[in-house]
Amino acid sequence: MRAYPKGLLTVAVLLLAVVLCGGVMAAENVKVGIVLPLTGAQAKFGEIEKRSFEMAAEEINAAGGIKGSKLELLFEDDTGKPDVGRAATEKLISRDKVTVLTGGYSSAVTQAATAVAQQFKVPFLVTTGSADEITEKGYDYIFRINPTSSEYFDPFETLIQKAGGIKTMALLYENTQFGQSSAKDVEGAAKSAGIQVVVKEGYQAGAIDFKPILSKVKGAKPDIIYMVSYVMDAALLMAQCKELDINPKMFAGGGAGFTLPEFQQKAAAAADLVYSATLWSEDVPYKGAKEYFNKFKKKYNSETEYHGAEAYGSMYVVADALKRAKSFSPNDIRDALAATDMMTAFGPVKFISYGKKKQQNKLPNTFVVQWQNGKMETVWPEAFAKKKYIFPTPAWKDRK
Amino acid sequence: MGILLQTIVAGLLKGGLYALIGIGMTLIMGVMGIINLAHGQMMMVAMYIAYVLNTMGVDPYFSLLVAMPTLFLLGVLIQKYLLNPLIKVDTILPENQVLMTVGIGMVLTEVIRFIFKSDYKYVTTSYSSATFFLGGISFNVPLTIAFFIALAFTAAMFWFLIKTDLGRSIRATAQDKDAATLMGINTGRITVVTMGLGAALVAAAGCLLAPVYYIFPDLGGPFTAKAFVITILGGLGSTVGAILGGITLGMAESLGATYLGMEYEDIVGLAIFVAVLLFLPGGFKRLTKV
Amino acid sequence: MKKTPVAAIVAVAALALLPLVLADNYFLHLLILFLIWVIIGSSWNIMAGYTGQVSFGHAAFFGTGAYTAGLFVMHGGFSAWWGMAFGGVAAMLLGLPFGAICFPLRGAYFALASLALNLILMHLATIAERFTGGMQGIMIMPTFVSKVPYYYITLGMAVATLVVVQSIIRSKWGYYFVSIREDQDAAESLGIDTNRYKNVSLAVSAFFTGTAGALYMNYMGFIDPHVVFSLHDYSVMAILVAIVGGVGTIYGPAVGAFIMVGLQELFRSGFFGLFKYLGDRTGSETFTQAMEVVQHAHVLVFGILVVVVILFLPNGIVGDWGKIRKSVFRSKPAA
Repeated sequence: MRAYPKGLLTVAVLLLAVVLCGGVMAAENVKVGIVLPLTGAQAKFGEIEKRSFEMAAEEINAAGGIKGSKLELLFEDDTGKPDVGRAATEKLISRDKVTVLTGGYSSAVTQAATAVAQQFKVPFLVTTGSADEITEKGYDYIFRINPTSSEYFDPFETLIQKAGGIKTMALLYENTQFGQSSAKDVEGAAKSAGIQVVVKEGYQAGAIDFKPILSKVKGAKPDIIYMVSYVMDAALLMAQCKELDINPKMFAGGGAGFTLPEFQQKAAAAADLVYSATLWSEDVPYKGAKEYFNKFKKKYNSETEYHGAEAYGSMYVVADALKRAKSFSPNDIRDALAATDMMTAFGPVKFISYGKKKQQNKLPNTFVVQWQNGKMETVWPEAFAKKKYIFPTPAWKDRK
Repeated sequence: MGILLQTIVAGLLKGGLYALIGIGMTLIMGVMGIINLAHGQMMMVAMYIAYVLNTMGVDPYFSLLVAMPTLFLLGVLIQKYLLNPLIKVDTILPENQVLMTVGIGMVLTEVIRFIFKSDYKYVTTSYSSATFFLGGISFNVPLTIAFFIALAFTAAMFWFLIKTDLGRSIRATAQDKDAATLMGINTGRITVVTMGLGAALVAAAGCLLAPVYYIFPDLGGPFTAKAFVITILGGLGSTVGAILGGITLGMAESLGATYLGMEYEDIVGLAIFVAVLLFLPGGFKRLTKV
Repeated sequence: MKKTPVAAIVAVAALALLPLVLADNYFLHLLILFLIWVIIGSSWNIMAGYTGQVSFGHAAFFGTGAYTAGLFVMHGGFSAWWGMAFGGVAAMLLGLPFGAICFPLRGAYFALASLALNLILMHLATIAERFTGGMQGIMIMPTFVSKVPYYYITLGMAVATLVVVQSIIRSKWGYYFVSIREDQDAAESLGIDTNRYKNVSLAVSAFFTGTAGALYMNYMGFIDPHVVFSLHDYSVMAILVAIVGGVGTIYGPAVGAFIMVGLQELFRSGFFGLFKYLGDRTGSETFTQAMEVVQHAHVLVFGILVVVVILFLPNGIVGDWGKIRKSVFRSKPAA
């Protein structure tokens, strides 16, 4: 069995060769590491964010880059798994020697990746990962541009107050990190708003039949049914609510699922009049928002949405910090990020501390949209509403 | 009371579909003694066929006529070139066949993902959400149709296995492969046909499921799991057992969802599975003798 | 073969000295993964390859070990390193009742029962939010920033596992295990207490896998039910590692681990960035496109590999080494 040491040696030599290869790269550029799900179930959003990052970087480089140097984006695929995300982040830090990190889509992956960044003291600007805990650990190298999952429900609180008559809630959520942590927050927020949560049920994403749980919901006669679901579960939930003839005053979605076009296409008539929280739409009054939306559509022939806007905004924030930093050392970049105060297409960005959170951006507004006649319309807050919200939701039988 | 009835109905209808998924696997397990862990993935392929046809305007029910023969062929090819050769090989563990099906399942999933990406696809029909009410209990039309078609297939399989020569050869091979060979049955061909049949049946299940669910490359796994629960529950090779097993699983899941909590849905199935393995080995077949 | 093969000793020595030469975090990480799989693969092999009790749910033990370590932190504020001491024990405590209930089942049924155990634990861990943190998982800050301490700990564990496996297999117990695998009833009739030995092999197998799980918690810093109880990533992978390497051989799983971990990363990174490098150097689009294809298809290639290995090398690389030697070296005169 002499092949063993020989084989091992060959492989070791090969590995060394590749390591050396990796080291010989252009040294002029400013390297930014980006961790995203490029394959796997979340690949679609990973792609939208990657394209948005690239688009922003192109614009920044065309306008002179970072004090003459060009931005170089290094993407790593986290495949939707936290352990892969962790390894990917380490690779970006140790092998590729990036100066700053951004990205982070799923909450689980973001948690693992930011822990690595903090350990190695490399600044990380979180783009999408929304679990509150991510900025509640006191990690001083971690910043976040997007609102946290507990804040998704905020615009609903004021809308519900205005609409009036909502006393009970049924809360359904997918058993994922996002779902479980959102549900916890929504339950708390509902209680403080004086709403009684009469049903709270988690489910495994991918279920075929929600009728059992929905019959329970129907029996409890809630005023609002709040669902934290991804797109296809959302479509099935609404279709089956229609089949069971459940008629609360309001159907609301607290996950990205309810704002995607596929939701409306699959659920058809059942999607109508469903509300959802969203962080951004192309109509928001922030500089560059509409241009970003149109440019993306023109370049890629498909529509972007709030994840893309988060990525686009993040790129500009990173570039801005790099420009202001005294040097490209991690601490100087971190200090520059901490001093950020700018407007992006996603919204205003300034990292502040509130509650348990540190270095968290707080958008002045998040919005509520409602599907009306097959179109998603911004309906709340009133200052931004394109159309008036329709409330209470008429019974299925009474709709045209 | 309304909740209980609705739950039972939901479970019953879902159970019919489950039964159709299970029949294919119980046949394969009964005859070849191998667990086909690519069963759900085969169904997934059939659903993509239904999807592609749907984009060309074909109704999923008509897709049955295309998907079933296609999957039959796929099953035949898999058995002939990938699984039968393993029987002759002398290995330490007999589980190689099962692992081969794991590999096949992976390949099927990834090839589909390569072609269609991971996006959710769905078929659009006018009747996906159609319901009719009986005494205040809602019945989903596509699922109800699936239920009756599943019964029809079960009856057809039953008749096929009892009355036709080929069916009897299959049962003989299932009972004792060596004796069957001695009797002049080409057992190699029988195993190939059985796999094809199993695949075709699960293809039918897929086409029937398509209107009420959605399609993505990874959907196979959970359905394979349900298929073998039903197989064990109903008893290997028993078509009647599969129907009973499917309905039992469907109802248990629904009742579990309503009264324990929807998160427990999958655990209920698994618990039944373990209970049957321990307390009623041989499944319902032992009770019904068919 | 009464002594340890020279190749194995050389390999261990090389691995022990490697960090002095190669301090790259990325490769250390890959090696640590490889070593963890040596542990898991070899433990699975004891129970399945040697004793014939094929477990399709080994992640159950891995996850139990990982959660033991995690729960020490979450509920007691203790260091996760306590998990290393107790993770293996916890996995054994899970395994023994499972064995008691399910060993009467034979072959495929036992495999399915183990699969059910795996899935049940995964679902329970997800649902019991207050106890396990549910899908929010358990996160800790790893004790060491550098990978080197983890590397040596894992290397130590892997060597320990192989030493234990080797000494068990070469003892009388080894013969008992194999006799159970070959024909359980015959073994029973010869007076071998098959039940006792099945439980022993299960206990050993669970212990090492559980300890590997605890090590994982300490090293990775983050676990959640879908990661550590994953059917595909741990249970099935353990089987593949052993099968590709060679079940029923002592060093087979180690070889299998090397190949599987290496291949997985090879594809995920597009041949370790080679494609990207070539693309940047030559400015050619085809390389970048080829890289994307390779990355997206890495699981596919994996699946194809499994099919091919089972078809042509059913006893794994180590088991069928003679076959490989003959076909690869057949052009040379007889060695």
